[in-house]
Amino acid sequence: MLEVKNLTKHYGEIKAVENLSFTVYPGKIFGLLGPNGAGKSTTIKSIINVIKPTEGQILFDGKPINYQYLNRIGYLPEERGLYKKSKVIDVICYLASLKNIPKDEIITRANLWLEKLGIADLKNRRVEELSKGNQQKIQFICSVIHNPDLLILDEPFSGFDPINQQEIKNFILDFLDEGKSIILSTHQMDTAEKLCSEILLLNKGKSVLQGSLQEIKKNFGGNHIRVSLIGDTNFLDSLDEVISYEVYSNFIEIHLANNISPSNFLKKLVEKTSIEHFLIIEPTLHKIFIDTIKNEKSK
Amino acid sequence: MNKTLLVAKWEFLEKVKSKAFVISLFLTPLLLILFSVAPTLLITAEEDETKVIGILDFTNEYFDQIIPSIESIKLKNNIPAYITQNLFVRGLSKDSMIILADKKALDKKVEGYLLIENKDSLIISYRSKSVGSFKLISDLEKVVNDINIKKTLLSKNVDLSIVELIKNRIEINPVKIKQPGEEGDSEFLSTFFSSMIFILLLMTMVIYSGQMLVRSLLEEKSNRLIEILVSSCTPNELLFGKIMGLSLLGIAQILAWILIGIAAVGTTLVSYSSFENLPTILLYFLIGYLFYTSLFVGIGSIVSTEQEAQQITSYLSIILVLPVVFLLSAMQNPDSTFVNILSYIPFTLPTVMMIKANLLELSLLEHLVAISIMFISTLIVVFLSGKIFRIGILSYGKMPSLKELISWLKE
Repeated sequence: MLEVKNLTKHYGEIKAVENLSFTVYPGKIFGLLGPNGAGKSTTIKSIINVIKPTEGQILFDGKPINYQYLNRIGYLPEERGLYKKSKVIDVICYLASLKNIPKDEIITRANLWLEKLGIADLKNRRVEELSKGNQQKIQFICSVIHNPDLLILDEPFSGFDPINQQEIKNFILDFLDEGKSIILSTHQMDTAEKLCSEILLLNKGKSVLQGSLQEIKKNFGGNHIRVSLIGDTNFLDSLDEVISYEVYSNFIEIHLANNISPSNFLKKLVEKTSIEHFLIIEPTLHKIFIDTIKNEKSK
Repeated sequence: MNKTLLVAKWEFLEKVKSKAFVISLFLTPLLLILFSVAPTLLITAEEDETKVIGILDFTNEYFDQIIPSIESIKLKNNIPAYITQNLFVRGLSKDSMIILADKKALDKKVEGYLLIENKDSLIISYRSKSVGSFKLISDLEKVVNDINIKKTLLSKNVDLSIVELIKNRIEINPVKIKQPGEEGDSEFLSTFFSSMIFILLLMTMVIYSGQMLVRSLLEEKSNRLIEILVSSCTPNELLFGKIMGLSLLGIAQILAWILIGIAAVGTTLVSYSSFENLPTILLYFLIGYLFYTSLFVGIGSIVSTEQEAQQITSYLSIILVLPVVFLLSAMQNPDSTFVNILSYIPFTLPTVMMIKANLLELSLLEHLVAISIMFISTLIVVFLSGKIFRIGILSYGKMPSLKELISWLKE
C-alpha cells in the first residue's frame, strides 16, 4: 500500500505540486489524470524516489520509502526508448540486475516474458532493429521482470495496436489479481474509466477531483443523454435545460441541468426536430474531465 | 553484486563492444604516428638531388675557397649535394648584377645564391625563392664559418696545420644523471617523442571517451532511461559506476595500445630506452584520465541536445589542449618557475608531470605531492560533479545558466 501525504514540490518559484494526498491500495488501479503540465510526472518522480519532495511524505507499507523500496517498484515512463545499439537480452538483463534479481534467475525470467509476449526469437537482435511496438514490449518487460509490488505505468498503451493493447491490459489485470498496487497515468479517459477504481484529477499542481470513480460520477450530478437527431443542432444553445453538449459524428451527448427530467426534455426536443435515437447515460470520465478542467479555467 | 559495479560492468562492456571503440583502438595510434613522427621524418630526411647554388661575391675574397668546400658536401649516395655557379659579371653595376641574380633564382635556374658583400663588416645573405630548407642553410653556414675562421687565423700568422686542428668542432654530449655515477638516457628527440605520444594519447582518449560518455548520457536522458535507472539505483551509484566503467575502458585501451606498441616498436623511431619511465608516466596518465572523466560526467549531465553536447565537449577539449600550448616551453626548460607552477594545477599537472618525469629525475616527495594534489582535486571534482549530475540528469530543455548551476551546487 502506497500512501502519499501532503506532497508538495516547488522548483524555485514554480509550484509543480501542492499538498497532494492519496492512497493506492493493493489490488486496485489508481488513475492519475490531468492535462499536460498538471504535475503528474512530478508526482510520479516523487513516488519513484527520483526527486525529493519539498514537503510531505511518501510511505510504502507504512514506512518511508528507502533504498530497498527501489527494488519493489516497477516504472514504465511515457517516453519510450532503450539502448538502441545493445542486444535485447542484454538490456533486459542489465535493468533486471539493477533491481537485485539473482543472476541465475534473470535469464529464466527474461526468457519467460519474451515467450509470453511472443518475441522470444528477437532476443539476440539489437534494439534498433525491432519495430516500435516490439521495443515497447521490451520496455514493458523491463518494468515488470522483477515482479514489483508497486507498478507505475505512464501511458502504457500508447504506441500499441489494439491487439497488443488488449494483451498488455490482460497482464495488468493479472497483476491486480496478485494483489499489486498499480498507478496508471493516462490521457485516454476511456481506458482510465474501464480500469481505474480510484482517480485523482490534477490541474496546475492541485487536486481538483479525487475519489472512487463511482462516487465521482454520482457527485458530478445532472442527467446525461445521448441523442441522434436530424438537422441542425444549433438550437440547443438557446435551451435553458442544456448545461453543455458535445457533438460527435453519430450522436450528441447533452448534459442537462439537475432539475430537468430526461423525459420532459425529450418532449421538448420532439417539438423542435425529429429524433432517431434517445438514451439516458452516465456521464463519461471524458466529460467529467473536460468540464472540471474548463470550470477550473473559468475560475 | 553491488549496483555501482553493475553499472560499471554495463558501461564498460557496451562500449568495448561498440564499433566506434574498436576502430579508434587501431586508428588513434596510427594517426598519432602519422602526425607526430611523419613530419619530423620528412624534415630530417636527406635530399637526394644535387642543387645548383649561385655565388655572387663582391669582396672577391671568398669565392675561391667556397666553391671546393660546398662542392665537397656529398649526399647519401655519394653524389655531390651542390654544384656552384659564379654569378659575377664583369662590367655590370652591383645593382644590376643583383637583379640579374634574383631573376635566376626566381626562374629556378639556381636554387638560390649567396650574396657576399663588405659594407662596414662582412654581410652574407642567402637569397632564394623559398628559404625553407634548414639543411641547406646550415650546410652553407658551416662552410662560410670554416673559411672565415681559417682566413682570420692565417691573417694573424697562425700556422696552417694549427688552423686545420681548430676547425675540428667539439660537440657536447648531454648526459642526464640518474644516481651518482649512473647515467640516464639523454636523447632529446626520443624523450620528446615518448612524452609527446603519451600526452597526445591522453588527450585523444579523454576527448574521445568524454564524447562517448556525454553522448550516452544524452541518449539515456532523451529516452528517459535515466528515470528507469535512478528508480533502480541512487544517482551516486550511477555516477561512480559510469566513472569506474570509463576508467576500465581507459585502462583496457592503454593495455591494447601498449601491446600494439610492443609489436610495432622495431619498426618505429622510438627506442625502448625512451620508455624507461613508463610506469611513472602511466600513473600520471591514469590519474589525469580519472580527473577529466569525473569532470566530463558532471558537466555532461546538463546537456539535452546533440548540439549542446558538441558545444560542451569542445569547451572541455580546449581545457585539455591548453597544456600542449606550454608543452614546448616545458620541454626546453622543465625546471622553470612557470613549468613548476603548472605542475601544481590539476588541469595541467598530469601533462606537465609526464614531461618532467621524462626529462628530470624527480624525488619521491615531488611525486607524492603531485599525486596528493590530483587525488584531492579528483575527489572535489567527483563531489561537485555528483551534485550537478543528480539534478542535471533529470532536467530537460534549456541548459542551465551559471547561476542555476551554482544553486544546484548549493542544494
